[in-house]
Amino acid sequence: MPKEALLVRTLVELADSLVDDFDVVELLSLLADRCVDVLGVAAAGVMLAAPEGDLRVVASSSEAMRVVELFELQSDEGPCLDCYRGREAVLNGDLAAADRRWPRFAPVALDAGFRTVYALPMRLRGAVIGAINLFGAGEDPLTAKDVTAGQALADVATIAILQQRVASESRVLIDQLNTALTSRVVIEQAKGVLAERGGLSMESAFEAMRHYARDGNLRLADVARGVVDRTLAAEAFSAPRPPRPS
Amino acid sequence: MAGARLLRILARLETGAAGLGPARLCEVCAEVMAMTGAGIMLMSGEVARGSICSSNKVSALIEDLQYTLGEGPCVDAYRQDEPVLEPDLADRGGRRWAAFTPRAVEAGAQAVFGFPLRVGAARIGALNLYRDHPGSLDNDQHADALVLAGVAARAVLGMQADAPPGMLGAELEAGSDFRFVVQQASGMVSAQLDVSVGEALIRLRAYAFAHDRPLAAVAHDVVARRLRLSDDPAPGQER
Repeated sequence: MPKEALLVRTLVELADSLVDDFDVVELLSLLADRCVDVLGVAAAGVMLAAPEGDLRVVASSSEAMRVVELFELQSDEGPCLDCYRGREAVLNGDLAAADRRWPRFAPVALDAGFRTVYALPMRLRGAVIGAINLFGAGEDPLTAKDVTAGQALADVATIAILQQRVASESRVLIDQLNTALTSRVVIEQAKGVLAERGGLSMESAFEAMRHYARDGNLRLADVARGVVDRTLAAEAFSAPRPPRPS
Repeated sequence: MAGARLLRILARLETGAAGLGPARLCEVCAEVMAMTGAGIMLMSGEVARGSICSSNKVSALIEDLQYTLGEGPCVDAYRQDEPVLEPDLADRGGRRWAAFTPRAVEAGAQAVFGFPLRVGAARIGALNLYRDHPGSLDNDQHADALVLAGVAARAVLGMQADAPPGMLGAELEAGSDFRFVVQQASGMVSAQLDVSVGEALIRLRAYAFAHDRPLAAVAHDVVARRLRLSDDPAPGQER
């Protein structure tokens, strides 16, 4: 199957797996396998950052690849780590010339039969959530078009992961959104009450509430609720500036 | 194939540096659907809570009308939890939405469609689509809209995902319009008339309706101290 067609089929299967609500690990295993077919590399792997920030090996196209990737993490050096930390692709990493760059990782990867390494970032809004490792064993190097195709795979996988994470935490996120909005609504209403009572601007009203909350070690949302409910008298709030005549 | 449709839509979202903010999300919705404009309303417990985004002024007006009047394609789509299609607003919209329709048509909307935004079993709002000429969605477009609504819902929640506890997500704070000015005006009116904020909001709505103005515009006037509701007689009373 020509490369472009295989790329499209891969991406469609990735998207299909989302529709059927597959596991992220299965999705990324599919991605790793298809990187090998589409890009013509010897092996591919995917690392994702855990919530604490450390990278984990999530998928590898072969056992040899998995061992090398695990070693990369253990020795704390290698193309995927460089890519993740530098937030930039690592391209055409020549393992034979990498004894300074990756003194522990390079020999292990060479022993496993690999010659060239690439790592493509999985980027989301400026943050990098993981990276795709591509290892060549002496075939032709990746062309610029290959790298673009690989990055496209990485980008769609990234969006897919985010969409799936959101779906699995949707109840929590919806609650958080509603709670945040409700608090803000009360704060904005309270600003209006104080602005009117004290002849203040909205900013000054907000500042007055913040000061009151801080001085009394209270939550701003509770202070706002008190202002709106009239359990806190507007007169209790000293204006940072003298009230303007209305 | 479901995957191909979803892929085509996912591929329009952006990762990278800028990422996908509210404005771009609405643009993508309008582009994917080949609509004149698109908007996303956030709703909760039968109430419109704000506008996530609108791709142009007419979409913004369509949302504003629904926010002010409490009727329209998005309101219905959210409440009924199913797509609401009006391919010829000028001809038939008046029977569904007596107040919304003439104002939307005057602004240039000839066809309007509302799709609920769902994640799993939960609904968070609705996607607004309009065209400046009448016409139905074909089967492909309808299927695209269903997928797009799901993707958009997740994208919106994704914007809340990294927010500090109790606060709105940064992208929503910066790019969406929750009409806080209406809340501020409610506070001011509640102090002016010595009524609850709930009552104050009702008075603001009544004023907006009586003067045929958007609620947010009336609120802006109150906050800017160009308008005091206590100066206005209650509806039905002579001055």
